[in-house]
Amino acid sequence: MPRFTYTRPDTLSETLRLLADPGHNSRLLAGGTDLLIRLRHDAPNFDRVIDISRLPELKIIEQAGDEVRVGSGVTYTEMINSPLLQRLTPFLIQAARQVGGPQIRNQGTIGGNIVNAAGGADMLPPLVCLDATLHLVSARGERAIALPDFILHPQRTHIRRDEVLSHLTFPTPPPGVRSIFIKLGRQRTSAISRLIVAAMGGLDASGRIDFIRFAPGAVTPRVQRFEEVENLLLGEFPTPERFARAGEEASRVMQALAGDRWSSPYKTPVLQTLTIRALTQIFPT
Amino acid sequence: MQINFTLNNTPIVIDAPPDISLLTLLREHLGVTGVKDGCDVGECGACSILLDGMLVNSCQLLAPQADGRNILTIEGVHDESGGPTDLQRHFIEQGAVQCGFCIPGMILAGEALLAENPNPDREAIAEALAGNLCRCTGYIQIVDAIEATARERQARSGQGGRS
Amino acid sequence: MIPPRHDTRYVGKPAARVDALEKVLGEARFLADINLPDMLYARALRSHLPHARIKRLDVSPALEVPGVKAVITSDDFVDHGNYGFPVKDNYMLAYQKVRYVGDAIAAVAAETPEAALAGVRAIICELEPLPLVTDVERALDKDAPQVGPDRDDGQSPNFLDRSIVQAGDIEKGMADADIIVEGVFSTPHQEHAYLETEGALAIPTPEGGVMLYCSNQSPFINRDNVAMVLGLAPELVRSIQPPVGGSFGGKDDLNYESSAQCAALALKTGRPVRMTFSREESMVASYKRNAMKMWVQVGVRADGVLQACRFRGLLDSGAYASESSFTGWRASIHAMGAYRYDAVDVEVTSVYTNNAFSGAFRGFGNPEVNFAIEQVIDELAEKLDMDPMDLRLQNALRLGDALPHGQKLEESVSLTACLEEARNQSDWDRKRREFPQRNAGSELKKGIGVAALFHGLSLGAEGADYAGATIRIDDDNGVTLTSGFTDYGQGSRTVFTLIAAEVLGVRPDRIDMLRPDTDTAIESGPTVASRATVLGGNATRIAAANLKRILDLAAADLLGCRVGQLIREGESYIGPDETPVSWDDVVAHARKLGFQLSAQGRWQAPTIHWDHHAGRGEPYFAYHFAAQVAEVTVDMGTGQTRVDDIWAVHDLGRVIFPQGAYGQVYGGIAQGLGYALTERVDFVDGYIQQTNFERYLIPNAADMPRIHITLLEDPLSVGPFGAKNVAEPAMVPTAAAIANAVAHATGRRIRRLPISLEQVLLGYDLTPPGTPKRAQQGLWL
Repeated sequence: MPRFTYTRPDTLSETLRLLADPGHNSRLLAGGTDLLIRLRHDAPNFDRVIDISRLPELKIIEQAGDEVRVGSGVTYTEMINSPLLQRLTPFLIQAARQVGGPQIRNQGTIGGNIVNAAGGADMLPPLVCLDATLHLVSARGERAIALPDFILHPQRTHIRRDEVLSHLTFPTPPPGVRSIFIKLGRQRTSAISRLIVAAMGGLDASGRIDFIRFAPGAVTPRVQRFEEVENLLLGEFPTPERFARAGEEASRVMQALAGDRWSSPYKTPVLQTLTIRALTQIFPT
Repeated sequence: MQINFTLNNTPIVIDAPPDISLLTLLREHLGVTGVKDGCDVGECGACSILLDGMLVNSCQLLAPQADGRNILTIEGVHDESGGPTDLQRHFIEQGAVQCGFCIPGMILAGEALLAENPNPDREAIAEALAGNLCRCTGYIQIVDAIEATARERQARSGQGGRS
Repeated sequence: MIPPRHDTRYVGKPAARVDALEKVLGEARFLADINLPDMLYARALRSHLPHARIKRLDVSPALEVPGVKAVITSDDFVDHGNYGFPVKDNYMLAYQKVRYVGDAIAAVAAETPEAALAGVRAIICELEPLPLVTDVERALDKDAPQVGPDRDDGQSPNFLDRSIVQAGDIEKGMADADIIVEGVFSTPHQEHAYLETEGALAIPTPEGGVMLYCSNQSPFINRDNVAMVLGLAPELVRSIQPPVGGSFGGKDDLNYESSAQCAALALKTGRPVRMTFSREESMVASYKRNAMKMWVQVGVRADGVLQACRFRGLLDSGAYASESSFTGWRASIHAMGAYRYDAVDVEVTSVYTNNAFSGAFRGFGNPEVNFAIEQVIDELAEKLDMDPMDLRLQNALRLGDALPHGQKLEESVSLTACLEEARNQSDWDRKRREFPQRNAGSELKKGIGVAALFHGLSLGAEGADYAGATIRIDDDNGVTLTSGFTDYGQGSRTVFTLIAAEVLGVRPDRIDMLRPDTDTAIESGPTVASRATVLGGNATRIAAANLKRILDLAAADLLGCRVGQLIREGESYIGPDETPVSWDDVVAHARKLGFQLSAQGRWQAPTIHWDHHAGRGEPYFAYHFAAQVAEVTVDMGTGQTRVDDIWAVHDLGRVIFPQGAYGQVYGGIAQGLGYALTERVDFVDGYIQQTNFERYLIPNAADMPRIHITLLEDPLSVGPFGAKNVAEPAMVPTAAAIANAVAHATGRRIRRLPISLEQVLLGYDLTPPGTPKRAQQGLWL
């Protein structure tokens, strides 16, 4: 007896209809890397899989007005190959490039990363910097939710059972804004899997910082912009001293939000260092 | 359920449970044993196949996801007489083969890379292999083999030299 | 770079691996690829507790599960399936108690893998937890929980073995030293992580025996074990090795158990039975490289002459003895490093714990001790204000020296050449001088470090060291070779083929090497200890020479001349009248003359003696010498180490199969790299925390440094064509070279592997909370 059935709708509206069907507990399949792994450990709490990995509506990458839309079904490889994203959001490309291995990049999707990996997702810090809004659709209608509000806590999100994450949008970054994504490499600490810093920044004509977004990843229970760090930098000249202060502030905010953990002796100084490096890269001093 | 796809240029119609992985479908239901099970969690790449030309881990796909698609496994990689292709020949000559378990995946990863980037440098080759683990060879001769193949193909197509 | 040779046609020339074609075409059939009609799938029930008494074991519910055909326990084996060498303390299925998480308790055979798992889950197994011991020092306390078998010699119950090396007057040696350095070092367990997991296939035979396909390294040991535990005459058991997806020492013990379990199930059901492990089952249940804790003290004179070395090692054998007596012995022999001393005092003690048991892994005790001694040598150099390369060159063993153990080194000692070559190629002197200057004021710090090694060839005084090979000419004039040695990727089949081709004077592609098979091969001991090339190569050489004798006689007869007048041109024979005759013609003539076109060859290693009680003697009949230099960039902002280059200079006597030799060095360095930087095995209360590749990180292609290999050929007179070995030594010094480079870059001396980010950044490791959950889950996957 198969544990579940499989269906692959041709359109998003058909998908929503299937999801709304009360006769089934359905599970969406986008990139698949999460579903197959979970199935090894736990009996499925669904009886039907709905394959949305080939839905054309979820594959869009486009700029509409002053906003960029990225479909949830876009794979890491598709992101990396997108001229639009290369131009507008290089740090998203950097993040996608550092997802391990071509196979995972070919299969994994940005939507899957957000919905499934939740708190640990590599994509979250840059998307939070971009002020991304998630667009969820269901047979009942559509709703939009800001990304930081979407993540309940690691592994849980606000998505409802009959909803599909259709796409995300974010305002087009102002021209001249640079972005950076830094991740601790493969040589791991003892089970600290990653430490991420994502940042965006731009200078005004006088050389002061007039645009700054800063979000670390894997240091706090929820991914969020560190506004205290941003406020420290906004309106100021980019100097090593200011970056050092920003680094200290980042660590302080992390401590305040995450408390004292076994990993703190490592993360505290390293977050400081990576903050300084990120800022140094986006603001030529 | 019925799954229709092309496997190594051959049309396949098969009845299989929907809740098995594509790896299981290939190995257990179709006897395609060149695709290996090394970890079953998408980390080692021994189960790699080309799905519509894209390198993916078959252990991380459900069998029905093959429907309507073009799948290439190592069994489909050979010249017209069933002998080795240029890439396979270079693998042999460069000493890139030891135990051989990772090799089907490595060859497919090599082909996928060269299809997209016919002139890769060694760093690009190593990055393209980052999802295929090998415990025997240390990878250097595998990179050598792919590099030699790229050079030879460039020379054959009349575009000598490397960028 | 190998110096060009003109004295051979095939040996030492680029060659294709004999089995490479089937592997690149995907046609090689590994164990899990063999599917037979009527075949049943087997699965073991494994302990989820690290130490427990089996209070109740009822397998009858498993037999009620649809599809299950048979279930076995230790009752189904002779003497409860007791096995093990040199200590017979293990069981094919646990008897009375389980000693580690993953210990096999029962095995089920069923129509499908799912039914087999369901059968395993249905077994009623009540385990009564026993107190644990997981720390090696605690394990030696007289009141520690007893893991090992009862002892009546007054030793603590968890004491397994002790190996010593003693020479000279250690007190005087230390007293004569002007500078003494000491340190405590530790190396962790290491997981073999072969891409193909364990498994076995058993096919019952009409005469009541069993045919086994098993990916282990020693088919004769497998055959003898299975025959013993099933109460069968050895002739009724046949063990064949299919293509193996990597082993590195790791596919013995647990595979002997799988073979025995499958064999018992096959005999019970009358059907073929196959067992293959999931990756998690492999990582949880399979044996590892032993963890070691080491205390090292070395004294040196102000003029740089090493005086004395004191070494204490504690080896975690885990739940069973496996090879630990031998690993501990080899560790003790190599603990002081490849140097001259006036006095040494070495003691390596192996103990039982409730961690997963430890067994053979490439290097077999040498990588562990090398990590310690090579760093102490560097620390001495620092205190002497001497270049570490110079200190090594001053004290390195040379031709004619005596090992501190008492053995005189009569030939093939090229350590100083290896060191000098590595020094020149790596631009050592300039970098040692310039890096510290460059590093000042930068977060990215560069360093360069060296490690030297010696590695005894073959079993040494561990055991009887012999090998046999057979060769014959078939009806189609192809040549068939057999050997008791196995090839699990390291290339032994190709090495033997090239040797036979060279001796016989025929093209290698004429030669077919049969799979190792106890029916057709001559027992040659285990394929371990880098002994295949010398032992198996010599046996092959002799077999080929014996066959050539016959062909030479036939050729001389055909050409009407004396054997001494024959010349070879390609495969052809030419006599005084200069008309060539083809090899095929000679073979046909030999048949006509009534010759048997087959021969055997046997070779015994030179006799050596080791006095286990005195700790002196001749440990090995030959040694491999080498040096590796590592250049690193350490990011002091994150603690990450990137290895940029490794220069590896190895004296392997004579290269037989060049691509194979390079491959062994590249592959060994990759394993050493992982051992040094990324491979963590953590046991928390006996539960392994890493159960698949997402947590156990082995190097991938992008992690690899540039590797520059130089193979020196200082021939060994008893080696085939002068060859020694290379497989194991390749990974021995890598971690130490990297650690020494990190110390040069950062000033931080890292005495624990792996060289974690925290150790570099903070000076200590952080301890994450561990969980039993992952390991327990892994047993059901």
